[in-house]
Amino acid sequence: MQPALLDRWSRQASILHRRDPRAKIAAALVFLVVVATAQPALLPVSAGLFLFLCAGLVVARLPLGGALLRAGIVLPFTLTFAAICWMAGDPWRGVSLILKSYLSALAVLLMVSTTPLPGLLRGFERIGAPRFLLMVSQFLYRYLFVITEQAQHMSKAAACRGGMRFRAAAGALAVLFARSYSQAEDIHRAMLSRGFEGRFHGPEDTRFRAADALFAAAACCAPLLLRLVIERVAA
Amino acid sequence: MHIPDGFLSTPVWATLDAAALPSVVVIARRAQRGFDESRIPLLGVMGAFVFAAQMINFPVGVGTTGHLVGGALLAYLLGPGAASVVMTSILIIQALVFQDGGLLALGANVTNMAIFGVLAGYLPYYLWGGGRWRRVSIFAGGVLSVLTSAALALSELLISGVKMPATVLGISSLLFLVSAILEGAITLAVVQALEGIRPGFVRKPKASPALGVAAILLATVGVLLASTAPDGIWKLAMTTGIAGHARSLFSTPFSGYELSFLQTPWLRKASAGLAGLALIYGACLLIGRAAARNRSV
Repeated sequence: MQPALLDRWSRQASILHRRDPRAKIAAALVFLVVVATAQPALLPVSAGLFLFLCAGLVVARLPLGGALLRAGIVLPFTLTFAAICWMAGDPWRGVSLILKSYLSALAVLLMVSTTPLPGLLRGFERIGAPRFLLMVSQFLYRYLFVITEQAQHMSKAAACRGGMRFRAAAGALAVLFARSYSQAEDIHRAMLSRGFEGRFHGPEDTRFRAADALFAAAACCAPLLLRLVIERVAA
Repeated sequence: MHIPDGFLSTPVWATLDAAALPSVVVIARRAQRGFDESRIPLLGVMGAFVFAAQMINFPVGVGTTGHLVGGALLAYLLGPGAASVVMTSILIIQALVFQDGGLLALGANVTNMAIFGVLAGYLPYYLWGGGRWRRVSIFAGGVLSVLTSAALALSELLISGVKMPATVLGISSLLFLVSAILEGAITLAVVQALEGIRPGFVRKPKASPALGVAAILLATVGVLLASTAPDGIWKLAMTTGIAGHARSLFSTPFSGYELSFLQTPWLRKASAGLAGLALIYGACLLIGRAAARNRSV
């Protein structure tokens, strides 16, 4: 499955991988806001920001082509809407939709593929997001592949028997639900017997070092400055 | 329908992020207080279940398939608060890992699907789930949850200035209506199958004042949103010819004198929005009734 690729990428080593998740979250959020609010001289600004992200990918030692392709996941949806805008006589907005959504997706991808997900969620928690929600998300990610595989087995078995009718598919879903429900109970019991006390002990919390602060400052300012300079030159 | 980053205008995503964050915190707190920590694995696994449910395709007609969205189903099985938490964490994982839906647009997506989608799905079940209309309300909940999410997403895009011609709007509304009816049918079928396996799984709706307030809030926001983007709905009504009927229906009893209060622009817009919502609601109930009757034979 594709996310396995993301897990592999996020466990590599590079300067970007070593930074504190909070610094990367801040940088990504600033970048997203810079992209979302860009208006004049959009083409040169997005070209500049694109090169900035590419530089980030290179520094993180991620495969450039692979990452650029992976961020293209957003394109089918966006292209549909761009076509609609074009039909409505507003081709410029269509172009801006494509540029902005692709750049945003690439920025999030860069953040996620340089930070393992538990660390990233822990970073969000330390910024102030509700812990309960993030723990549920972490569990979701942990069991996503387990339960998806069960579902795949079910639909493959059904295909072997000659396809699923509507009622049969509903029955399969009901069985999957009941099974995951009791699985969740077992998981909780197993966790309790290993001493679960209401919170995860992830990889030990990293300290926010000077290097992280430096990185956060640089990575937050760079896209902002880039945009301001390009807008000034283009005007 | 997950809105990616770059689609919404700054006021829209900023407002929705600002609105969604505290509501999610409150819902998470309430959901956490309502049960012990054994629910953390349960909710996580339920989220994984909703993901996995997309692997199982439901055949519809020739060659086309659909799959479960899950907001309403989760609300019946876990209660609306927990369902909101699960849907929110699904959206978080989708935005982070699968690049499906944006990070800045997360507030918008959470508002559409995890808050109002779940509430709208739970509302009919909450009102009529205990009695004779149980199946109808389950079906209507599934329909309504998808319709509400879709209508909210479309109006957010329209408010953000993404222009959509009336034909496109009509076609996409039709597609949404079809997928909403499908969601209702799947939800009902899964609930019935589940009750066959293990009775007592599906929770009986229990009265809570907070939900009543939430329902009123939902209706208000729906009307407001519908009235801020009435052009789309109005155009849709025009193209489908409903508007003509509605106008004659409305004006006939009052034909003697001018309806002066209907001339106020915002009131007219709001009433148009309200009429649209009522229309959709009524249609859901009727279709649900028919579907439930077919199913029970």
